[in-house]
Amino acid sequence: MAPSAAVDDSPFASSPETTENHLQPFFVLHKACSRKAERVSTVPVKTRRRIDLCPSPPSAEKPEVESVTEDDEIGYMNLRTESFEIVWTKIESTIKDVLRNINANVFNEIHQWVCESFSTIRSFGELTFREATQAFPIVSHASSKQLFTGLVLTKNMEFVDDLLTFKELGRHLKSQGCHVANLSSLDFMAKSGIGGCLRSLLRQFLAAPLDAADISILASWYREQGNCDNPVVVIVDDIERCCGSVLSDFILMFSEWSLKVPVILIMGVTTTLDAPRNILPSNVLQCLCPYKFTLGTPTERMDAVIEAVLVKQCSGFSVSHKVALFMRNYFVRQDGTLTSFIRALKIACVQHFSMEPLSFILKGLFLEEDGQGLQEELLPQAIFKHAFDLPSYGRYKIEEQKFESFGHCLSELKRLQSQWSTVVLCLYEAGKGDQIRLLDLLCEALDPATYNCRISDRRTKVEKDPTGSSNDSWHQQYPLSRRDHFICQAIRKVRDLPGAQLYKLLKRWEELTVDIIEIHEKLKELKSLVKVENGRSSKQDMANSFKRHSSRSQLNIVKESKALNEKAATLIECMVGDYMQPVECLPLHEIVCFQNVEKLQLALIGDPRRRIQVDLLESYKILRCSCCSRSGHSLLPSMHDTSILYNLAQEHGDHINLHDWYQSFKSKVLSSRSKGKHKSKQSPLPKKRKDTNEPDKPCEASIQARFCRAATELQITGLIRMPTKRRPDYVQRVAFGL
Amino acid sequence: MEIDGEEEEFGFSRNYFLAKDLASSGKKSTQKLSDIDLVDEQELRAAASNIEPKHEKEIVSLMNSYKSLYSRWVFELGCGFGLLMYGFGSKKALLEDFASTALAESSVVVINGYLQSINIKQVVIMLAEVLWDQFKSKRKTPSRSLPKAQQPFNSRSMDDLLAFLDGSEVKDNDCFVCVVIHNIDGPGLRDPETQQYLARIASCSHVRMIASIDHVNAPLSWDKKMVHTQFNWYWHHVPTFAPYNVEGMFFPLILAHGSSAQSAKTAAIVLQSLTPNAQSVFKILAEYQLSHPEEEGMPVDNLYASARERFLVSSQVTLNSHLTEFKDHELVKMRRHSDGQDCLCIPLASEALEKLLSEMNQ
Repeated sequence: MAPSAAVDDSPFASSPETTENHLQPFFVLHKACSRKAERVSTVPVKTRRRIDLCPSPPSAEKPEVESVTEDDEIGYMNLRTESFEIVWTKIESTIKDVLRNINANVFNEIHQWVCESFSTIRSFGELTFREATQAFPIVSHASSKQLFTGLVLTKNMEFVDDLLTFKELGRHLKSQGCHVANLSSLDFMAKSGIGGCLRSLLRQFLAAPLDAADISILASWYREQGNCDNPVVVIVDDIERCCGSVLSDFILMFSEWSLKVPVILIMGVTTTLDAPRNILPSNVLQCLCPYKFTLGTPTERMDAVIEAVLVKQCSGFSVSHKVALFMRNYFVRQDGTLTSFIRALKIACVQHFSMEPLSFILKGLFLEEDGQGLQEELLPQAIFKHAFDLPSYGRYKIEEQKFESFGHCLSELKRLQSQWSTVVLCLYEAGKGDQIRLLDLLCEALDPATYNCRISDRRTKVEKDPTGSSNDSWHQQYPLSRRDHFICQAIRKVRDLPGAQLYKLLKRWEELTVDIIEIHEKLKELKSLVKVENGRSSKQDMANSFKRHSSRSQLNIVKESKALNEKAATLIECMVGDYMQPVECLPLHEIVCFQNVEKLQLALIGDPRRRIQVDLLESYKILRCSCCSRSGHSLLPSMHDTSILYNLAQEHGDHINLHDWYQSFKSKVLSSRSKGKHKSKQSPLPKKRKDTNEPDKPCEASIQARFCRAATELQITGLIRMPTKRRPDYVQRVAFGL
Repeated sequence: MEIDGEEEEFGFSRNYFLAKDLASSGKKSTQKLSDIDLVDEQELRAAASNIEPKHEKEIVSLMNSYKSLYSRWVFELGCGFGLLMYGFGSKKALLEDFASTALAESSVVVINGYLQSINIKQVVIMLAEVLWDQFKSKRKTPSRSLPKAQQPFNSRSMDDLLAFLDGSEVKDNDCFVCVVIHNIDGPGLRDPETQQYLARIASCSHVRMIASIDHVNAPLSWDKKMVHTQFNWYWHHVPTFAPYNVEGMFFPLILAHGSSAQSAKTAAIVLQSLTPNAQSVFKILAEYQLSHPEEEGMPVDNLYASARERFLVSSQVTLNSHLTEFKDHELVKMRRHSDGQDCLCIPLASEALEKLLSEMNQ
């Protein structure tokens, strides 16, 4: 079929040879050009200037900004690319470390068990040379037929998050000298059978491609080259997704060969310990000698990652309140995997660096040790100007005149950020006993609206009572709004904490607040008080067991410890009020903070079902043509054919009568040209022929062709289904509503 | 947000039941497609290839507006994401323009997913060859760092090829092949196994993937592992409103199909290629069906008896060979009668059948 004129005339026109390519299943469009490829991201594109230096707020100073030379721009683009790579590598490695640390205990436990199991297997006896070289299995003991199996409970239905865990486990065991192979449920498919997983094992152990899948090859490999001093560990990601029959064949085979190839199995289980019983027959279960291990829960992992990346800010990159809220909702309600959360973070990071011209400063600001901000003289005026145009800077300058130099402003930003993170961590410590999730706390701590309202409330209070020392007035002094739900809960927890735990908490806070000296001092003081109290109360507890105490002194003790709790709670409230300044309230936060939640959402969760329909229903909004946009909701014949047809389809039920559909399409298409002169469907052919003589009237064939094409396009988008044999006159609607 | 979600859900179900309601409220139209004066299929196809384009100017400027995004797309590709383009309109021209202007420094392989069958192994072999060429051209002394050159790619297994693309043999992170897939949800790539392979290709360290989807339900073919760890999609909404000329090439025209005239015509063409005896057997069946419109079909035994009477077949075997021929061309359908007998019927409406018979008798 010839491409239509629309394609031919456009710059995207297809030349004859590309038309030929249309029918090739695949072809090479072009080979890498001979010029030494540096990195793709440095390809200069002419239009770069416009998009790079004008982020979302349209600035009036555009001409000045554009006075930066093209070379400079590419230079800055490269700088940003480089900074992104550094920042993201830092974040990624931090996440990996965090996850590894969480799993470290379990991994060590597993390794110990592997070693013990291996020595048990060896205690069944050594093979003679003749036995060892025979190409069939040897069984001496009944117990030697048992396979040691570690069942790792992942406590997580989302196996995606555990793929990395099992890979890391493999790496860990390998580093301890084991021979390790990782198999996934894809290796245990009914289609490829036992041969599939054997082949995969051989690939991983022998590291050479083999055509024959035979376990005797594995046995001889194990015998050779001193391999036999170490255990063979086979890790299966998720047994619930494996094909049961293949898995049982696999287990039976290895149990027969267990003397020659002492395999130790490690299997991931997402549900309960019953899982193997559900998928394996009893004779196979008898071959297993199971042990149980448990991994951390997904929420624990999530909190640990957030703590390291977004609260402690390993890289300086941060997200705005709205973005955090979106990511939280996406995690809690939609996807539920840590993997997708990290992916969202990465997309946010990519967008930040590709949209914010000054984002490259991040690298120098947070990651370089000597990073006293950056040298102002190295920045060209235009970039500088841009920084002063940032809305947050302007706002701040008007408020407080002291931040006049850019560098000072940046280091201030860094300092305030670290104070913020300290307070959030303190709150998290306090709320730990109450199962308060860091993710929830983070969202509240980032909210600029509540902060502003705290501040303004406090200002009025402070004006009234500048000392603010009395304990009773705390709740008037730092009013926490209702939106601070989790923060309030954490503080309430502090108030209810028993003495010993309060002491522990204060100790922890003391460690966290090393950088904020005045709070640190206050904490020390408070801690010493608690210590004294603690000592006394424990003594009194002892005394209590010997003789009864008067109820008054009991009451006193309770009162005193309550007072201490109150003090601690007041202190943390002061910290929240004074030091927990959300990043969006800081000057120049645009440099470090990603804010565009809509863009993130679009890139992360494309919503084709909805969006393709909206494209069709409101095509004039996208095409922005002069002819159709005035219509509002009525259909005009000038609109895109498929758009007309889909709009018409909305009026039908789940089945659309083709005849009616066609007639309404035809009348829509013809409506402007012959108002009220609808052709009846029985109109005789000759009359129609006469009509076609009029130059602007489309002939029947062309209308039918347009109808056909529009229907085909709807079919390609999956919005309708073709007529079936049973119902030859109807197409089926597939999508209802957006 | 919660309320929004609920409302959306509610809206969806309401729409669905409204549509159902509309269908069952008795207002259902019973108009037949045959009431339209359908033009001949050839004329229709000719007209379809000459449709006057609408909004040409706007489409071109829409496409051009995406050009300014190319540098960002390249950046995202470099960050390890796969680009997934969606939105109404053919994105073929857009993707190829992007690949040939912005990705000039790496090799680009295009897969046309809208075609009916694509051999994924062949694709992977080609990818490996292209990557190999790229390695060779980049390094002057390939012998040391590029082992196993002696084994040709087309004799290697899929796992080996994927391992090669993943760079386990060669460590060079700057070298990669871009794969452009038009309609990754298309008929040739839609099956789960191919999607698994595509996901594995996408996760290879020397491969960058750019794909387009058109079907609203395309994401259903991927699980979380594929989406989050392998394809790692970065979604882009790029409606072009360009006609699906190439993509729609293999779709039957809705008005050219299913009409009685059309199917009678195809049946006649098929019948012409059969032997006169076979044609006569078919005629017996057709006449029976016309004279007994209320029956489910003609019992096989009856057909055998009448065909034998007229000396058209000599044994059940010859009749069966004719019937097989008919069934292969979908001229005849076998049905189980309510009393257990096998029945034959022609899947055509009676008027079409009459037309067919009259054509055969000429």
